[in-house]
Amino acid sequence: MTLTLLAQLGIAGVSVGSIYALVALAIVIPFKASGVLNFSQGEVVTLGAYAALILTQLGWPYPVVLIGVVLLGAIGGVLMERILIRPIVAAPEFTLVIATFAIGLLIKGAISLKFGDSPASIDGPFGSDPIVAIGLRFNPTSLWILACTAAVTLAVIAFFRYAKLGKAMRAVSVNPEAARLMGIKVTTVYRWSWAISTAIGTLAGLLVAPLVGVNPEIGQLILRGLLAAVIGGFTSIGGAIVGGLAVGLIETYAGVFVGSAFKNLVPFLLLMLLLSFRPQGLFGAADAKRV
Amino acid sequence: MGSKATVLSAAAFSALALAGAFMSSYPIYLMSLAMINIVSALGLNLLTGNSGQISLCHSSFMAVGAYVASMLTLHFGLPFWIAVPLAAIVAAALGALLGFPASRLKGIYLALATLGFLQIVQIVIEETAGVTGGVRGLKVPVPSLGGGAKLDFYPLYLVVLGVCAFAIWTTRNLLHSRVGRELNAVRTSPHAAQALGVSVARVKLVAFALSAGYAGVAGGLLAVVVGFIDPNEFGVSAALRQITFVVVGGMGSVAGSVIGATVLSALPELLRPVKEYSDVIYTLILLGFLIFLPHGLVTLWRTWFARRAVPPAAASTAA
Repeated sequence: MTLTLLAQLGIAGVSVGSIYALVALAIVIPFKASGVLNFSQGEVVTLGAYAALILTQLGWPYPVVLIGVVLLGAIGGVLMERILIRPIVAAPEFTLVIATFAIGLLIKGAISLKFGDSPASIDGPFGSDPIVAIGLRFNPTSLWILACTAAVTLAVIAFFRYAKLGKAMRAVSVNPEAARLMGIKVTTVYRWSWAISTAIGTLAGLLVAPLVGVNPEIGQLILRGLLAAVIGGFTSIGGAIVGGLAVGLIETYAGVFVGSAFKNLVPFLLLMLLLSFRPQGLFGAADAKRV
Repeated sequence: MGSKATVLSAAAFSALALAGAFMSSYPIYLMSLAMINIVSALGLNLLTGNSGQISLCHSSFMAVGAYVASMLTLHFGLPFWIAVPLAAIVAAALGALLGFPASRLKGIYLALATLGFLQIVQIVIEETAGVTGGVRGLKVPVPSLGGGAKLDFYPLYLVVLGVCAFAIWTTRNLLHSRVGRELNAVRTSPHAAQALGVSVARVKLVAFALSAGYAGVAGGLLAVVVGFIDPNEFGVSAALRQITFVVVGGMGSVAGSVIGATVLSALPELLRPVKEYSDVIYTLILLGFLIFLPHGLVTLWRTWFARRAVPPAAASTAA
């Protein structure tokens, strides 16, 4: 195995991993704020891909489609939080898990009914001719995904560090009661955390669509996103990003070294191992509880 | 449930057995499916309703039961009445294996572990196409009693009916035994249970193994009754369908499992004209119950009986 091939695989792993990182980020943000893990996040990504397809077919230029998809995602998140999540946010965890899971299946079922199961293709913004540099081939779509992921990550980190709303979200995630007493509107925080999360989710759909084609199964991405979030410790933004890239790299190299038949097994075995021995993730702190 | 109820259920099962003799093959087939669903729902309800553990992979244990039973009959020529119990034991063993990490996890982490397990089972079935038929599915031979005797349609129905009755009876007794009280104690207050000497981890492990065993029996019977299995039958939507049975019927209640599985097994038939919408309708029903009637149909039943039990005069003074 040559070094060039290893490097080429590394590039592929990082570019697929950055999609996982975005999905993981979209999972972690509302979880941090409201303690709700959105199992329908995968279908939000699928919706983003379909929104991109529809807006592109309307003849809109790519930058407008990009903005449109992100805005639709944010609006969708606000509606979803208000209509579906807020009525059950205080319910037992079982209800929350099953309800968000069911919402995902509902969206997927609706998409299959409306658009059928056959994938539709959509072009990336910079074509698909690979760029050759330093002896390696770069897919322009993958580079674009990487750039967007980097930009989103920096924006999210800056938002949580400097923006008033971002600080309010951190406060609510630490202690909602105290935050409320300090005059923070907890419902506003919940609403915006969902809006940000679904906007990132639909953006991920737009970005991944040229690589995999627009189809109802895109939502399967959530499994990799969840694994990435587990690796990252579930509450850490940086952890989610590192976890996503790690999952992408592991999967790509496993495809070569383990063989394609069982390469899909590797992420799930890893998930089971992590949950068995280190459920707090590689970056999270152990959740010590006094009984 | 007193002796009156026992007599009633015995009468009901005899009536069902007798009715089968006069029915054509299609309604018999549907009723068999409903009873298989009841067996599987009983198992999931022990785990989720009684011991309070989330499981998104109940359908995987059905898959294990279905595939192991079919492999044993196909490749080793075992009669189905040996193959199905063996398959159930394999499923229960895998349930115990999952129980090791699962008994230390809760909430979303447990949901994730069971979801991961479901994916692993799916991938293994798909990638070992040489023995399992992979995504194309597997044709299951007509059940034999051994020695070349084949099982006909109606006797097979009687077998399923018998297994279903036995499962209901066992579950009732189990819930009234020490095991049942331990399961409920682990759900209502794990700390108190632990303090009173109940090993919470062991009880959860037993719950996972037990529920997987029920699912294994249900899966084995499903393979025999339908005659064809493929991994799609046991995927995420199937897992959620099992959860819907339990939530709609009533969590932690044997009657709930029976009512939920029966009502929802009849549903696809009622929805035949809008078949492609069935998954969507199932999830809408699940969401509706989660929000508006989280304890299921049995609560309606109980309130109705409670109202009837109180004489009108007493009711008015109480109010």
